[in-house]
Amino acid sequence: MLKLPGSQINAGASLVQKWWQSFCRFLFPSETDTWLAVLRIGLGLQVVVYALFLRSDWHYLFASSGKGLVAREIGEAISFFDSPFIPTLGWLVAIGRNFNISEEVVLSVTWICLLSAGCLLLLGLFCRSAAIVAWFVHLCAAESGGLLAYGADSLMTTALFYLMLSPLPDRYSFDHWVAKTKPKNPQALGFWRRVLQVHLCFVYFIGGLAKCLGNGWWDGSNLWRSLIRPPFTFVPPDVLIRFRYVLPLLGISICLLEVSYPIFIWIRKTRVIWLVCIVAMHAAIGLLMGLYLFALVMIVMNIAAFGVVSNTATPQTATESGAH
Amino acid sequence: MIAQGSTILPSASDDYARDAELAATWCLGKEAEASNPLRRGVAMYLHAAGIQAGYTFFAPNVPNHHRLTFELFYDDGRVEHQSPQVRSKAAALRLDTLLDKLADERYEAVREVVVKMLALSVWRQHQDVKKVRATFGSVNPPDINEFEQGKRETFQPMFSFDFSLRDGQDQ
Repeated sequence: MLKLPGSQINAGASLVQKWWQSFCRFLFPSETDTWLAVLRIGLGLQVVVYALFLRSDWHYLFASSGKGLVAREIGEAISFFDSPFIPTLGWLVAIGRNFNISEEVVLSVTWICLLSAGCLLLLGLFCRSAAIVAWFVHLCAAESGGLLAYGADSLMTTALFYLMLSPLPDRYSFDHWVAKTKPKNPQALGFWRRVLQVHLCFVYFIGGLAKCLGNGWWDGSNLWRSLIRPPFTFVPPDVLIRFRYVLPLLGISICLLEVSYPIFIWIRKTRVIWLVCIVAMHAAIGLLMGLYLFALVMIVMNIAAFGVVSNTATPQTATESGAH
Repeated sequence: MIAQGSTILPSASDDYARDAELAATWCLGKEAEASNPLRRGVAMYLHAAGIQAGYTFFAPNVPNHHRLTFELFYDDGRVEHQSPQVRSKAAALRLDTLLDKLADERYEAVREVVVKMLALSVWRQHQDVKKVRATFGSVNPPDINEFEQGKRETFQPMFSFDFSLRDGQDQ
C-alpha cells in the first residue's frame, strides 16, 4: 500500500485550504451597496412599466373562467400540478372570497399593490416590504397567467427574488435617509452581487450555446425570421433587405457574445466592451422587436451585476457595520 | 432540444442528450410521485426563483409564428372572420406567446379547452353567433430570397374545432 509522507499530506491540505479560501473570497467579496441601489431603482421602474403596460388588460388576462381571455384556472392548474405551494392569484381571490370581496376587486387591489410596490422601490421607501410584495404579486400573476407568460416574466421573477433577499435598504434609499439605517455588511452585499453575476453568466452561456447549435444564427436567417415575425415586425422587411449582408455577421456576433460572456465579463480589460455590447443588444431587441420589458430587465440586471464600479469597502466600513 | 434533433449536432448525440435529460429530470425530482414533498419543494423553489424554464430564447432556431382564426357563423347565413382580441400591445405579445405554446405537444392536453376559452371570449362580443369554427395553424415566413421574389408567408392549418355556442355544446 502506498504511504504518503507527512510533508506531502500537509502540502495537499494547505492546497485545499488555499483553494477554499480563494473560493470564499470569490463568493464573499467586499462590496458597497451602489449595485443594489441600481438593481432596486431599475426593478422599481420595471415593475411600474409592467403594471402600466398591462393596466387595460389586467382583468381580462387574469379573470376566472367565462370572464376573461383564457381562464386563469388553467395556468393555476398547471402550477398546482408542479407544486400546490406555488403562489397564484387564485390564493388571493380565495382570501378575498372569505371576506365577501369580489374577484374584480381583488384583481384591482392586486394591480394597485404591484404598482405601489414598484413606486416604493423606485423611491426606496419600505424597500424590503416593497420588494417582497412586488416579487409575490408578480409571481402570482406569472403563475396564474402561465400560458401567457414569456421569458421576461421568468427573468423578472429571478431579479425580484434576488432583490428581496439582498441586504436592503441601500444608502441611496429614503429608508436610509429617514431611519438612518446602518450600512450593511460588505460581504453580504458582495455575496448577493456575486449570485446575480453568476446567474447572468449561466443565462448567457446557455442561451448562447443553444443559439450556436442552430444553423439559422450562422447565416443570419434567424435574425431575419425574428424581425419579420409578428408581433415583432417593427422594422419593415424592405428595410431589412438593405442590410442583408450584415445579418449573418450580427447573428454570429450574438452567438459569440453570449457564449463567451462568462469569460470576458470577468476580465477587467474586456468587461466594458462585453457589457456595452450586451446592453446594446438588449436595447436593440427592445426597440426593434418591441420587447421593452425583456430589454429593460436584462439591462438592469447587467448594469447592477457588472456595470457599477466595484468599490471595495474599506476594512473600517466592514468593522463598523459588523456581521450581517 | 438536442434530444429532439432540433440542433446542428449529429444524430449520434441524440441518445446522450436523452440520457442527460433523464438525469436532469431525476435531479429535479420530476421522476418522483406528484405528491412527493421533495419534488414539490424543488418545484416551488424553481418557480419562486424564476428558473423553472430554460434560457433558450429564439434558440436553436426561431420557431414559426402561429395563428388562430375564428369563423363566426350567423343564423342568417353570414360568416365573419375574427381573431382573439386584447387592448394593449403588451397583452398582444402574451396572446402570441399563448398561441405558440398551443402548438407545442406538451400543451396538447389543454389545447382544446384553451381554444374553447378563446372562442368564448370572441363569442361574448358576438352573442348572436350560431357556430364558431376555430382554425389553428402555423405561419411559415418566406426567407429573404423568397421575399425578394415576391413570396409571402404561408398558412399551414394544424387543427380546427367547431363550437356550437348557442346551445352550450361543442363538437
